[in-house]
Amino acid sequence: MIELQHVRKTFGSFVAVDDVSLSIPSGEFFGFLGPNGAGKTTTIKMMTGLFTPTSGRIVINGFDVEKQPLEAKSTFGYIPDHPYLYDKLTGREFIYYMGGLYNMQNNELKENVDRVIDLLELASWVDKKTEDYSQGMRQRVTFAAAFVHNPKTIIIDEPMVGLDPRSARIVKDSLKRQAKAGASIFMSTHILEMAEELCDRIGIINKSRIIFLDTKENLHLHKTKYDGNLESVFLELTKEENE
Amino acid sequence: MATFFHILWYKIVMFWKVSSKQSFGVVIRNIGSFVVFGSFAVGAFYFSNFVTAYLLENVRIGLFLFHRFIGMLLFVFFVTINLGNMVVSFSTLYRTPEVEFLLTSPVSFLNIFVIKFLDNFFYSSGTLFMVGFSVLLGYGFYFELPWHFYLLMMFGVLVPFTFFAACIAVIVLMLVMKLASKINFRILISAVVIFYLCQIYLYFKISSPVHLVQEVMKYYPYVDLYFGSLDPGMLKLLPNFWVSEIMYFYVTGNFSAVTGYTIMLVLSTVGLFIFALATANAYFYSTWITSLSIKSLTMKSLEFKNSIFSFGRRSIFSPQVDVLLKKELWQFLREPSQWIHLVVMMALLMIFLSSVSTLNIKLETPELKAVVYLVVFIFNIFLINSLALRFGFPMVSLEGNAYWSVRSAPISTTTMYWIKFFLIMTFLGMLSLVISWLSNIPYLYVHRVVGDKPWLVEYVVPQYPVKVMAYFSIIVTPIVTMTLVSLNFGLGSIYSNFIEKNPIRIASSQGATMTFLLSVVYLVFLLALYYFPATMLFNAEMKNLPIVWSQLQIVFAAILIPSVAISIGSHYFGIRSLRRDY
Repeated sequence: MIELQHVRKTFGSFVAVDDVSLSIPSGEFFGFLGPNGAGKTTTIKMMTGLFTPTSGRIVINGFDVEKQPLEAKSTFGYIPDHPYLYDKLTGREFIYYMGGLYNMQNNELKENVDRVIDLLELASWVDKKTEDYSQGMRQRVTFAAAFVHNPKTIIIDEPMVGLDPRSARIVKDSLKRQAKAGASIFMSTHILEMAEELCDRIGIINKSRIIFLDTKENLHLHKTKYDGNLESVFLELTKEENE
Repeated sequence: MATFFHILWYKIVMFWKVSSKQSFGVVIRNIGSFVVFGSFAVGAFYFSNFVTAYLLENVRIGLFLFHRFIGMLLFVFFVTINLGNMVVSFSTLYRTPEVEFLLTSPVSFLNIFVIKFLDNFFYSSGTLFMVGFSVLLGYGFYFELPWHFYLLMMFGVLVPFTFFAACIAVIVLMLVMKLASKINFRILISAVVIFYLCQIYLYFKISSPVHLVQEVMKYYPYVDLYFGSLDPGMLKLLPNFWVSEIMYFYVTGNFSAVTGYTIMLVLSTVGLFIFALATANAYFYSTWITSLSIKSLTMKSLEFKNSIFSFGRRSIFSPQVDVLLKKELWQFLREPSQWIHLVVMMALLMIFLSSVSTLNIKLETPELKAVVYLVVFIFNIFLINSLALRFGFPMVSLEGNAYWSVRSAPISTTTMYWIKFFLIMTFLGMLSLVISWLSNIPYLYVHRVVGDKPWLVEYVVPQYPVKVMAYFSIIVTPIVTMTLVSLNFGLGSIYSNFIEKNPIRIASSQGATMTFLLSVVYLVFLLALYYFPATMLFNAEMKNLPIVWSQLQIVFAAILIPSVAISIGSHYFGIRSLRRDY
């Protein structure tokens, strides 16, 4: 369960996120769309505790991210847009490291590390140092690290960056499995087909404000107004005023 | 050449844009930097002026010995710049994405080399020139030297001298990298380390400061005369010797000798630079290719596979503490610029300690004894500070871009902060105790060689006041260590830079320089306080005077209170800074 209540973030005079309110129930796959610079990553960074909101409140699985950060963080897994890892650790060590940070005890951790390595098909290279990984390999390791503690909620920022078609399929399947298992997923993306394929509900943010929030079914109704594809809906909703 | 200036121009524009970015925080930080740098420059001026006056007027060592000591200091300085440049050059020439990018463009290898070499040199030498100029001012003011002395010393001596060291560093580095395609890189690195250690040992063995003092003092009070015949021939080939000669002859008015040595220094530097360019022209690209195959220089013997240090093995700590400790350990052992630098610094430290712990002090006056004691004490503390700056300051920054993993995990940044601090504090705390104890051995047990057999040593227990001095230092050193580690670590957190991957560049950034200057202010404060018990206790020993215990208590309190305040302040602001937006 994710709740954003009138969340606002400013950097000096620049308003990055303005009065965003959302509620994502458990088990829902939510797609967060928007053009570059709309405020997607800032919203996600506030949800994960990397940024502090200027005003408003974020509650994840019943815990206020600002007031109970540790409790809130223990319930979700995060996959950032740039999969930076510690260069000198191996992929397996990084997954162990993340599991340890989530206070997982050794036996359970070992089982889960093996499970996510299988799930993301990392076995053939997971014991090499991450400095030798490609972008896609890094991305898959961050997915594994986010899944290792069985989070109730998964927050993902642009999951397909640098993934080849096979890796993309592996990631999509793993997300579907997590959603099926009851995890709520908050995914920011600008790949419209992916949002259409995976998400139950879609929100579109533009110029720091939510401009569309509805189910995938209702979005299809919008599609008929245009030329029948999601891209046209997206472009129409997010077009510049002076265009 | 046009390409070179084109790249240089954009580098200057980039630097200007970053430095001229105006915001309230930046302005405050710049004012703060200006105050600290300015105060330090003034402090360095007074300190060098005071030391010059003290050694020449109170201790009366004479102009010749004074300049020979400057020469020895310059040798240490030269080796430090040389080694520092070598390690930094390895990162800037072979490990930066910028070089990788430039290699894909139609820029010649030589141009890429020169750009990165100069970038490296000026980046790490800015503060050094500022401090050097302040020290020269202090020295020059004592001798009432004219303005052209400073001009000559800055541009004709100091810049070529540091450039000389930097050129040797890149030449050695490229040759090592060239050989790395044929010989194991670890063996090469070990050979270089051993070579440098031997050089330092031989220098002090040949220059033999104690012998030099004894020889010159035979001519007392005519110690200002030139005793060049006492200088071993080999030392005359070294640039630090030329610099000390330039200074001596300038003060004594022998300008033809000044001109001769300056021309020799400048021409040698130009010659070395040309040699470095030729080496780069021949080897830079091929060595860059070689560097790709030695991507990871890990201490393989320390991999501890399936040991308690492996991830996934149970330990006595909680899972969070366990993985944070293991992550720090492996990040350190698998990063060559970290462990190689530590090995070199520890080896130098061992050489220093082995000399100091067997020092046979036969000085006539309590003041001189106090000076020697203070020099050794402050040098110990300076070493601890250097290690704290080099390894403690970058610790938070080294989280790098992967810091998101800690910030988004259910662990407080305070926990992470204290774990990192605990690691560096434990290491330097123990080291400081060893250093303190070893350097106080001559004050706890005076040893004397029996007959002509150097392996037979008899110990004579020194008098009570000297032992008090030694124990006082052994108690004070951990307090000072805690303060310096806290200062370096806390400010490292405040000035954290998660973009820079190179720990040496982090430890020589603007924030690190500020931290270094603040620690030096603290060291000067410490030195000023320490002067009183040192002179009082050596007077008590030599003149059979009573020990003034109240003075010891006051000095101890005067050290303890600000030290605790500095430590708490550094941690408070260090922890607070970790909570800012990432």
